[in-house]
Amino acid sequence: MANEKVDVVIVGAGASGSVYAAVMARAGKKVVLLETGPDWQLSDLISSDFWGRRVKPAGPPFLLEGKNPYGYVYQAGWGVGGAALHYFANFPRLMPNDFKVKSEHGKGLDWPINYSDVAPFYDKVARDVGVSGDAKAEEIWRPAGEPYPLPPMKTFRGGEVWKKGFEAVGIRLAPAAVGMLSAPYKGRPACIYDGWCHVGCPIGALANPLVTYLADARKAGVEVRAHSTATRVLTNAQGDKAIGVEYYDANKEKQVQEASVVVLAAWSAQNPRLMLNSATDRHRNGLANASGLLGKYLTAHFGSGTSALFDEDIQPYMGTIGAQYFSYDRYDKNAHKAKGAFGSTFLVAGAAVKFSGIGGVANARGDLFGPELAAFMKRAARGYTRINAFAEEMPLIENRVELASDKDEFGMPLGRITHSYNEDAVALFNANFEEGLAIAKATGAKEVWSNRGAMPTIHLMGGTIMGTSATNSVTNSYGQTHEIANLWVAGPGIFPTSGAPNPTYTIFALSLRGAEHLAENWGSVAG
Amino acid sequence: MDPIERRVFNQGALIGALAFVVGGVETMLTPREAEAQNVPLRTLKPEEAKTLAAMGEALVPGARQAGVVQFVDQQISIAPEEALLEARIMNVRPPYANFYRAALGAIEGASKERHGGRGFAELNPAEQHDFIDAMRQNKIEGWKGPAGGFVYAALRADSVDVVYGTMDGYAALGVPYMPHIAPTRSW
Repeated sequence: MANEKVDVVIVGAGASGSVYAAVMARAGKKVVLLETGPDWQLSDLISSDFWGRRVKPAGPPFLLEGKNPYGYVYQAGWGVGGAALHYFANFPRLMPNDFKVKSEHGKGLDWPINYSDVAPFYDKVARDVGVSGDAKAEEIWRPAGEPYPLPPMKTFRGGEVWKKGFEAVGIRLAPAAVGMLSAPYKGRPACIYDGWCHVGCPIGALANPLVTYLADARKAGVEVRAHSTATRVLTNAQGDKAIGVEYYDANKEKQVQEASVVVLAAWSAQNPRLMLNSATDRHRNGLANASGLLGKYLTAHFGSGTSALFDEDIQPYMGTIGAQYFSYDRYDKNAHKAKGAFGSTFLVAGAAVKFSGIGGVANARGDLFGPELAAFMKRAARGYTRINAFAEEMPLIENRVELASDKDEFGMPLGRITHSYNEDAVALFNANFEEGLAIAKATGAKEVWSNRGAMPTIHLMGGTIMGTSATNSVTNSYGQTHEIANLWVAGPGIFPTSGAPNPTYTIFALSLRGAEHLAENWGSVAG
Repeated sequence: MDPIERRVFNQGALIGALAFVVGGVETMLTPREAEAQNVPLRTLKPEEAKTLAAMGEALVPGARQAGVVQFVDQQISIAPEEALLEARIMNVRPPYANFYRAALGAIEGASKERHGGRGFAELNPAEQHDFIDAMRQNKIEGWKGPAGGFVYAALRADSVDVVYGTMDGYAALGVPYMPHIAPTRSW
């Protein structure tokens, strides 16, 4: 069934899709937002680790391969708000040294832009959604920008006990910048520090799309169609324009939404899956894939967690799931060169910890079971805390998403994600454990240990990387595909390199940059 | 979410209970209540339930009474997108019943192979401990099913959920639950 043509159809109602929807609607465009999952409300966000699983994808439509298969469900979105419905809302920025890694080190890739191109949008996003932090304190690591609109969040003993350890090894800390409200802001209430952010914040103190850009978009008239699964981007006979999106609605009936501009904001793996599945005679290898890089250069973060157990009651369940403190003191790409490592590390301390779930207290000692686990839980409930060293892997062309032969219920080929870490990343993973243990020992904790296990995969970036031309990338720095002017890609998929910090602040900033550029250049872009 | 799904979700979430079928009537119960009432299982076979109860209890003391069998059975009997299982987060491919069947079958088969035909529930506590320790390290020879370490992690997570992840679980450890939106009947 064909629907009335609109100005913009956006696939995916998460962080990036919400930004595009808000900006384009405010620019007077008629916008339809397609979302494969439910239309969640704040009242759906139950404070419970197992109820919180409802807002995450159900089972893998992606097949996972490689030495380090990409486990994505915990951090992926499903439904309105996307992954930003349940993210940790840490708001670190990329740093100037993230943008020219290839030029400066001969590894990885360069971005076609610099930190200075993105910085104004970090500041804009901070004003839009309400960021709490101390910008001045961060300026020991980055160029000056605007102050955050809100002061830093409260701190709790679960974070404070780490300060002594970091100081002992010469690592400086700053109050963490977070997308949470330390005070009321724009009609939203301040955080109450209950630590349930990771299953969604129903009071709106955390900057999820439902209370920020998506709320703005709805007010500006955007139509959100939940349970609408996009399967193809449709192009004209010449192959030089996108004309709309084919999708299946809540009744599993095929629909077509025509539009002057198509924005794919589904996810780093889902966007290339859609583009690959949209191949035509004019684009035999998938849309905007002249470079052959569509689906390639996927990157992930990995974390080296270090735990500490105190006799003191440090109330680890208090605070937020975001960090209390962070540090870029190991952000130089060669910070751990002596240990054979390459890449930046971003350190965080003081996240609240609940009992169950993948990040819960019970998993801090995954080897324990039976009476030993019961004894550990009694001690850890009030004395456990951890830090994490998040780090980057360099983009590798063999880390990719491609179409598999299995198909989903709509006949669309499943995606297959292949992911392996290289030696640089493994060395960085190990170096960060070593330093984490040194920090932990210096805190004076009763017990300390490394949370070693399979090398984790956190966040997913790349797959539709930005670059200078159709020979080396899929999109330009705004997310506009090189080959089809009115087909845009939004989200972390356009990152050529990952940096080390949580990506959502950068997703918001780049999406705002791209959306404003689209609005300003509408006449030359729209089909 | 359509109106029917929304109604069921809100109903369950607000009372902290799941939909069990008792005497042909859908009733909202916590897994602990379902266990106490011996609610008939929908998907697990009796021998699978016996293995799961024994394994859950050996992994996390209190899991049997907290209703780990009822929890898993109810969860694998509903649509995957409604499921609250950690298996969902662990990228298990739906239908989740297939994974649990394979996992419980592997445990039972390996136990009988190692212990002269005795199933896991028939082992003494020391034997159960040694079995689990080998399973979690993928050190059981002839294991037939999903990797032992993966099975350990999934079943341990279910058991942790019903024992520690509830409001009762927090209360038992003397920690305030502090919900924004509470499961009001302590689950």
